[in-house]
Amino acid sequence: MKLSVNLPRGLVLKNPIVAASGTFGFGPEYKDLVNIGDLGGVSVKGVSPEPWPGNPPPRVWETTGGLLNSIGLQNHGVEAFCAHDLPFLRDTGTAVIVNIIGHTVEEYQRVAERLAKEPGVSALEVNISCPNIKQGGMSFGHDPDQAYLVTQAVRKGSDLPMMVKLSPNVPSPAVIAEAVQSAGADMISAINTLVGLAIDKERRRPALGGTTGGLSGPAIKPIALRVVYEVAQRVKIPIIGMGGITTASDVVEFLMAGAHAVMVGTVTFQYPRRMQEIVAQLPDELLRWGFSSVQEAVGAALPSKRGGLFDALT
Amino acid sequence: MIHLLRVPIIRREEPAPGHVELWLQSPELATSTPGQFADVVTEGMLRRPISFSRIDRANHQVAMLLQVVGDGTRWLAAQRPGTMLDVMGPLGNGFLPPAPARDWCLVGGGVGIPPLYAAVQAWGTHTASRPTVILGARDQQLLLLVDEFQALGCVVEITTDNGTRGRRGTVEAPLCDWLDSHPDGQVYACGPTPMLASVARLTQGRTGIFLALEQRMGCGIGACLACVIPGYGVSGQAGYLRVCTDGPVFRSEELIFE
Ligand SMILES: Cc1cc2nc3c(=O)[nH]c(=O)nc-3n(C[C@H](O)[C@H](O)[C@H](O)COP(=O)(O)OP(=O)(O)OC[C@H]3O[C@@H](n4cnc5c(N)ncnc54)[C@H](O)[C@@H]3O)c2cc1C
Ligand SMILES: Cc1cc2nc3c(=O)[nH]c(=O)nc-3n(C[C@H](O)[C@H](O)[C@H](O)COP(=O)(O)O)c2cc1C
Ligand code: FES
Repeated sequence: MKLSVNLPRGLVLKNPIVAASGTFGFGPEYKDLVNIGDLGGVSVKGVSPEPWPGNPPPRVWETTGGLLNSIGLQNHGVEAFCAHDLPFLRDTGTAVIVNIIGHTVEEYQRVAERLAKEPGVSALEVNISCPNIKQGGMSFGHDPDQAYLVTQAVRKGSDLPMMVKLSPNVPSPAVIAEAVQSAGADMISAINTLVGLAIDKERRRPALGGTTGGLSGPAIKPIALRVVYEVAQRVKIPIIGMGGITTASDVVEFLMAGAHAVMVGTVTFQYPRRMQEIVAQLPDELLRWGFSSVQEAVGAALPSKRGGLFDALT
Repeated sequence: MIHLLRVPIIRREEPAPGHVELWLQSPELATSTPGQFADVVTEGMLRRPISFSRIDRANHQVAMLLQVVGDGTRWLAAQRPGTMLDVMGPLGNGFLPPAPARDWCLVGGGVGIPPLYAAVQAWGTHTASRPTVILGARDQQLLLLVDEFQALGCVVEITTDNGTRGRRGTVEAPLCDWLDSHPDGQVYACGPTPMLASVARLTQGRTGIFLALEQRMGCGIGACLACVIPGYGVSGQAGYLRVCTDGPVFRSEELIFE
């Protein structure tokens, strides 16, 4: 079965399963355990122009069906990434997606320009969940105008295929999606984590060092599907869906909701080989629901595509 | 080399109330260095990091001694011989053995005690001098591996918070005494963070002080940057170190305690 996915600007994924940013390190960490070349792609942990220290620990806390994290985008900066991590990933045969972050519009552009010069980068994923320090710390992803400006700046900085990653912590992610599409984004990735809180009863304080954290894992899957489904009806550009995926069956749901490919995050911590297992099981799972390729399943549950058996009968 | 394994439990014991020791059959895990750990699937979203209490290379066995503190450890403690566990390991760096000519002392609290026992087992006690082991617990019932350390030839000193056995109080007093009488001695410590902070403070200026830390983890293999503690990286700059891959064993001069 044809599993490969063709995306804008010549980006080709050999299959629709991509490691989600922040859960697969900067590349080499999982090399003993995972055959990285078998994955459709790897989105590395967010990379900024200069190193970021991250938040104080504890940085993770388990919740029912989910995981809260407040890593705080710790990374050693784009120069160290290009020198130490990129050479490894470039030789694995997987699509290398670099997740980029910044505190100002200029920082986003700077990191995009730097990566555009580096061989081996397949695409950029613009994480707009960072606090805009010039605008008092509000996240770029929470305002369509800010999201537009960041996207435009990254577009100016690089010709690489570019996806913008949406935050679910806004009333309408689809409005942000429209803004970044009009600013030149080639793709959307969604969703990032949902803001949450846990209490450490023993220490009588919020559990995480960063006070609040981002919720990921199976608990957020219905929200992620809702966002993908809404965004797919509002923009023309392809969507990479994610949020709580743990099985090939989950992947088919995301495809049917309108995603062209998916990212898999939190489940990798418990089962490092789960992404490879999903790749292996996906053909059977697609056939089971009547699809003979990935492409056929994309958007099958959207109102525009339905018109199936039951609609015909009623 | 890190492995993803399915390994059988071959023996189960209850060495203290609320504690269970599980023996696992695994040639891969039996190559571990004392201080290394494994990440075990239980229930919930994440694996549980547990150190090795015994490493038996000859018989391809390891053991884990765990205290029941929550759902994951409760599930593990309820497993019986014959059960297969989903284990990732060996993880982390492990202890460096003591310098041949130097005296050494081990300081353990709670479930920090088991990896120190694995260390003495691996290195033996026929070193410069017999090692002293200082064990601390809230109550005598919670002391772990006392007879086992004695059987290996260690000098064992005990402290309990409530005075039910050994000196009343923390491990600090016996450690101060040992440090006074062993000016060039090395210390290996594992236990609650406040205990490690006081070991670091009391041994300031010495070399060869090794501390094994705990932190909440995500991936266990260095990818997620969840398990960090403040310290000095290779560049010497203050920042965050990963307990799972830079540790769990650190030289005391690498760490910053608040
Ligand atoms: C390197 C290392 C070695 C360890 N060795 C041992 C050992 O030999 N024996 C032993 O009994 N325990 C050991 N621990 C502690 C053990 O990992 C925790 O007690 C266990 O994870 C608790 O899980 P739970 O589900 O029972 O508790 P819960 O409190 O329900 O766990 C909730 C979450 O917090 C995490 N967590 C809770 N306490 C700790 C802790 N102290 N350290 C790290 N994560 C924690 C859990 O992994 C889980 O993700 C070690 C921890 C580390 C980091
Ligand atoms: C520990 C951790 C770190 C993350 N770091 C990043 C990051 O640096 N950049 C980013 O865009 N998303 C980051 N994410 C979000 C994931 O990429 C993904 O959007 C989210 O976890 C939902 O997918 P999942 O439920 O499969 O994990 C992180 C998630 C986790 C759990
Ligand atoms: S637990 Fe992920 S880096 Fe240590």
